[in-house]
Amino acid sequence: MMENFDVVIIGGGPAGMAAAVEAARKGVSVAIVERNDELGGILNQCIHSGFGLQYFKEELTGPEYAENFKNLVEQAAIKVFLKTMVTDISPDKKVTAVNEDGLVTLLAKAIVLAMGCRERTRGAIKIPGTRPAGVLTAGLAQRYVNMENLKPGNRVVILGSGDIGLIMARRLALEGMEVLGVYELMPYANGLFRNVKNCLDDFGIPLHLSTTVSRVIGYPRVEAVEVCQVDDKGCAIAGKEKIIPCDTLLLSVGLIPENELSLKLGLKLNGASNGPVVNQDLESSVKGVFACGNVLHVHDLVDKVTVEAIQAGKNAAEFALFNTVRRDEQSQFIKYSNNIAYTVPSIFNTSKDLLVKFRVRKPITGGQIKIFSGDQLISESRIRDFKPSSMEEISLKKDDLCDQAKGLSIILEEASA
Amino acid sequence: MTKYDVIIIGGGITGSAIARELSRYKIKTALLEKGLDIGLGATKGNGGVVHQGYDPVPGSVKAKINAQGAKQYPQLSKELGFEISNPGLFVLGFGEADLKVLEHKLDYGIRNGIKEIRIVDKDTVKDREPHINPNVTHALAVPSTTVVDPFEVALAFAENAVDNGVTVFLGQAVKKIEKQGQDFLVSTETKSYLTRYIVNAAGNHADDVAKLAGIEEYQMQPRHGDLLVFDREMDIKPQTVMFPCPGPDTKGIACIPTIHGNTIVGSTATMMDDKDDVANYKNGIDALIDGVHHILPELDDKKIIRSFAGLRPVVLDHDNDFYIEISKTDSHFIHAAGIQSPGVASAPAIAERVRDLLNDAGLDLPRNLNFNPFRPAPTIFNVLSELEKNMLIKNNQAYGHVVCRCETVTEGEILAAIKGKIPATTVDGVKRRTRAGMGRCQSGFCQYKVLSILAREQQVAIEEILLEDSGSQLIFGKVKG
Repeated sequence: MMENFDVVIIGGGPAGMAAAVEAARKGVSVAIVERNDELGGILNQCIHSGFGLQYFKEELTGPEYAENFKNLVEQAAIKVFLKTMVTDISPDKKVTAVNEDGLVTLLAKAIVLAMGCRERTRGAIKIPGTRPAGVLTAGLAQRYVNMENLKPGNRVVILGSGDIGLIMARRLALEGMEVLGVYELMPYANGLFRNVKNCLDDFGIPLHLSTTVSRVIGYPRVEAVEVCQVDDKGCAIAGKEKIIPCDTLLLSVGLIPENELSLKLGLKLNGASNGPVVNQDLESSVKGVFACGNVLHVHDLVDKVTVEAIQAGKNAAEFALFNTVRRDEQSQFIKYSNNIAYTVPSIFNTSKDLLVKFRVRKPITGGQIKIFSGDQLISESRIRDFKPSSMEEISLKKDDLCDQAKGLSIILEEASA
Repeated sequence: MTKYDVIIIGGGITGSAIARELSRYKIKTALLEKGLDIGLGATKGNGGVVHQGYDPVPGSVKAKINAQGAKQYPQLSKELGFEISNPGLFVLGFGEADLKVLEHKLDYGIRNGIKEIRIVDKDTVKDREPHINPNVTHALAVPSTTVVDPFEVALAFAENAVDNGVTVFLGQAVKKIEKQGQDFLVSTETKSYLTRYIVNAAGNHADDVAKLAGIEEYQMQPRHGDLLVFDREMDIKPQTVMFPCPGPDTKGIACIPTIHGNTIVGSTATMMDDKDDVANYKNGIDALIDGVHHILPELDDKKIIRSFAGLRPVVLDHDNDFYIEISKTDSHFIHAAGIQSPGVASAPAIAERVRDLLNDAGLDLPRNLNFNPFRPAPTIFNVLSELEKNMLIKNNQAYGHVVCRCETVTEGEILAAIKGKIPATTVDGVKRRTRAGMGRCQSGFCQYKVLSILAREQQVAIEEILLEDSGSQLIFGKVKG
């Protein structure tokens, strides 16, 4: 089967749906290719509330947030392919997928990548010990508990204070499982402040900072974990080990953009954000291929994913309509100070306004963002605190960007200690 | 009670190869494996290099068997439908002292009959491996070195054996061996088997199994090794199997390009007491990272997706040699013990040797005229052309349902594994056969789907599905009601 579309969106989660709706609004033909049997992505298993406060100005659960966009997709004459897995995308924008009917080939004028992200695993953080049943990522546990009504354990230790870990601590406690504690390698929580308060503090679940799981014990099922305090370099301190009997270890140790298709397409990747390199139109190194949502960089709030995806959808539609000639060759990398982990976009030009998003590497008390074009200070923020758990945004007007040749630097100045 | 001519105890690559070899003859053979799958011991816990035989001392059992076994792999791959690659191998030298060792190994290699083995200079290594440690001065090159997935090979042997009349019993840990006249009565917790001959291929437990039959001819101890698996997508990865200059008991920490495009780094070598301890150790993992950086200093150690460990079965006081002999205590009991490295390469020749020993011990081996050496290769959806994929799905919709997104594994492949000659009954059994869950998300997205398919096909509740061994349930029941 072969079909033509102006814009093909890969992934039907929040990013894909918002991009599709916005593209369709511009009057182009749009298809969403989704591997699951319904739209909504990971939102479907996030049954807690806290979504939508920024975008919809009301507090919604994940499925409610998804439902709003599913309705918009339905109203917008968007072709949705469900249970369809994209296996390849070529730079000339041929999307190859499979489903139960066979091979599906979609020829697109523009593509939006919206595949989301995946969780870091035990292997990635190299926890020594046995390899029994009972070690799983927080997202998998969320799926078991919230969608499948299955209990993945009874006595649970959580490693990592990412938002999913915090949310799952509360969820498992509410469902009658015993959550023995959340352990975090860093000296600060990795999740949003509100989640530490609502999910741990309110449920009396202890958060142990500067402590990691140093060994998994037991076979064929987890029988205990060894936890250990770490020094300021993150190295285990000998003699500070403690054995915690449990039957389950949940991991919430970070998210990584899903890169399979980006790599197959030959996109340049940004080693710092782990997503594709994009310009301020969210266009990747392959013309007409855009990226948004967690496949581009891991967001803190779905509301911000939506806003980003709308931009990607709009730009993809315009590309399909006008085959807009971009001025990538004149784009420059955005420079930033060491305490910033990455920026999105990573390259910019002076042809239009620029919204820069970034995260800090560590908590900063009393910092100030200063933006320079060459040596010239073009913008500065007020002095405030910064946390790695929050995504920061700076909006710059085209006219403020000055001369592109001078470059653009984002410097986060820390109050002198 | 069925009386077998031969019972093989142990379903690793050695036992499976023996089973397949014996299926060429018109005798009644059974294989007993204590695990719920074959290949769960040292077989799945190693790097998969088919060593050509530069390491064993010429004249040793190991030297002969290694070279003979390794030569058979390309042909076996065609017959049995398992994948094989030919990356070649370098043993790297860092300076003149190492060169002496390499020359010594070259001499071994030539005497053990390896073709094309030679010493090459730094530039030859660098041409093939541009990111090699700049301190490398020479290398012993063994271009014929191949790489396989040892589990896949063991499965292929065992399935072909089943096809040719061998019976494989899984979940059968041998608890008792009694003599009944000339015969043995082999008992597990649930069953008993009568047999004329026993082949002991019980890996790290070979001495324990022998002891059950009253045979105490050697003692075994495991040599533990940690291994790491790296992501397929890496800027810098090896094209060649690369070892450092070897030590007395181990070939050292190597980097190995696998048949699936990953890199395996392994392994450490520590003598242990516990024959079942395949945990990973932090000092081992650290040593592996140092070890691979000694070869490829710029390899990105953030790309690790999994660590695992294996135990090489070592017969003590036996010069690290294999122990393949007719028992001195009972001539109907054959040892295929101490199959440490290079056990994968040696398996086909060990099987032939065991066959000869059985014959020497009085077992008649009339040819099985119906022997079919071929086993069809399993379908791997991901490597098919678009046309082939489309055809496959049109014939069977299950191939249009991608279950594992990292490795693009379809429900059709999983069903084939579950319905195979040696069926996958556990989540890890499915993973080893199909690669579902072997990718960088390590089953975060597909574990539930695999569980559901297993439960559906076995017609049991999801709570009963195991990760691997008995007692490894993943789910503890319903959350509500």
